[in-house]
Amino acid sequence: MHVMPEKRVKREYMSTSPKSTQEITTEHLSKLLAEVASSRSRRAFSELFKHFAPRLQAFATRQFGNEQTAMDLVQDTMTNVWHKAHLFSPEKGSPTTWIFTIARNIRFDILRKNKHRQNDVSAEDLWPVLSEEMSDSDEEFALDQNILLQEIGEFYRQLPDAQRIVIEQIYIQGKSQQEVSDELDIPLGTVKSRTRLALQKLKEMITAHD
Amino acid sequence: MIKFHPTEELLVKYVQGELDASLCLVIGTHIDMCPVCANTVKDIEEQVARSVFINELQGSASATPAQLPEAEMNMMLEQIISSHAPEKIVREPALEEITLEGKQFKLPPTLGRLGSRLGHWSKVPGSVWRAPVNLSGHDKINLIYMAAGASVPEHTHRGSEATLVLNGSFADEFDCYEDGDFIFLDQQHKHTPQTAQEDCLTLAWLNEPLQFTSGVARLLNPFSNLFFR
Ligand SMILES: [Zn+2]
Repeated sequence: MHVMPEKRVKREYMSTSPKSTQEITTEHLSKLLAEVASSRSRRAFSELFKHFAPRLQAFATRQFGNEQTAMDLVQDTMTNVWHKAHLFSPEKGSPTTWIFTIARNIRFDILRKNKHRQNDVSAEDLWPVLSEEMSDSDEEFALDQNILLQEIGEFYRQLPDAQRIVIEQIYIQGKSQQEVSDELDIPLGTVKSRTRLALQKLKEMITAHD
Repeated sequence: MIKFHPTEELLVKYVQGELDASLCLVIGTHIDMCPVCANTVKDIEEQVARSVFINELQGSASATPAQLPEAEMNMMLEQIISSHAPEKIVREPALEEITLEGKQFKLPPTLGRLGSRLGHWSKVPGSVWRAPVNLSGHDKINLIYMAAGASVPEHTHRGSEATLVLNGSFADEFDCYEDGDFIFLDQQHKHTPQTAQEDCLTLAWLNEPLQFTSGVARLLNPFSNLFFR
């Protein structure tokens, strides 16, 4: 069946480039995403970007037939990959699929925004890809917050500096973990683990004091 | 056992985001209820993603990535790395169940996530109740509740109709449908849905108003938007 001639024609604008990028394995892509998530590795992200951006651009140009919209889709998609790599989980699928679903959702929202006004369904309602689930440590937090605000007292001053600063920002200044991560320029994972360690220590101190 | 599933063609379009949001809602809700389709959709996602990022580029000799100008690429890369994190997307908790005629019905997660868009219930003739799920767009989607022994008059469709059984069972001229069954009918099909001993809650999608075809029910045609608004 010859159902694809139209697409073939549209591909003509593509020029040749080395094949090397095609050999990137799923394992390698997963490793790059993990590095972005854990240490915000610019090198790992650049590699991801060089692999996916041109492909996304080709895809989006075919879809929209508009270069500016296509570039917006590439930029939005890769911005989410950079900031939200921690939401990728290899058990749910490959990195390629994860990035495709991000792009699919952004495209879906762009197309609907052209047709409808506000209060519309978002792709994220239909296909949650980037929504933050309440993680265990977040819940731990919610539970601890009540105790802490009253009982934290002066205890937190006794924590090691790295943990004290995180606790100060979150519990005293009311910042989110993400904000602390951005401001102190440390990975979100590190903020989470420092908070967890600090909470453990605080609990011990409070219990010992009682 | 679920007997009726969306066709593979529909599932592919669903994965590609090519369907109206309201039809995506019905199919997504079916997938919540159907492990078979959930698996198929995972496979389709992998395949579609690969065709977007890999296969299409290997498909023919000339099929390699479009070349973004190097400078533009690097500029975008720099912009992204120094950008602020996009706002966290935190969803409101999903609606877990609804109560109708004193009976509780659990909502599958996809439908539950849109629970805040569920409108008021109203009664339509024949022991049938409906409540719209308010999504903007042309197509309409309703929860339809049929009490035991209820029927919707014989009708056909100018467009298409998708029905998903959420709980209970109903029958028409073609078959009997139970929890999780997904039925897609186009304008060629006339049918008369009815319940027997058991009541039935369905999620129904329409892209054009119903056309009532038989006897007295034809008088209902001026009101066919009872099911389409
Ligand atoms: Zn199914």
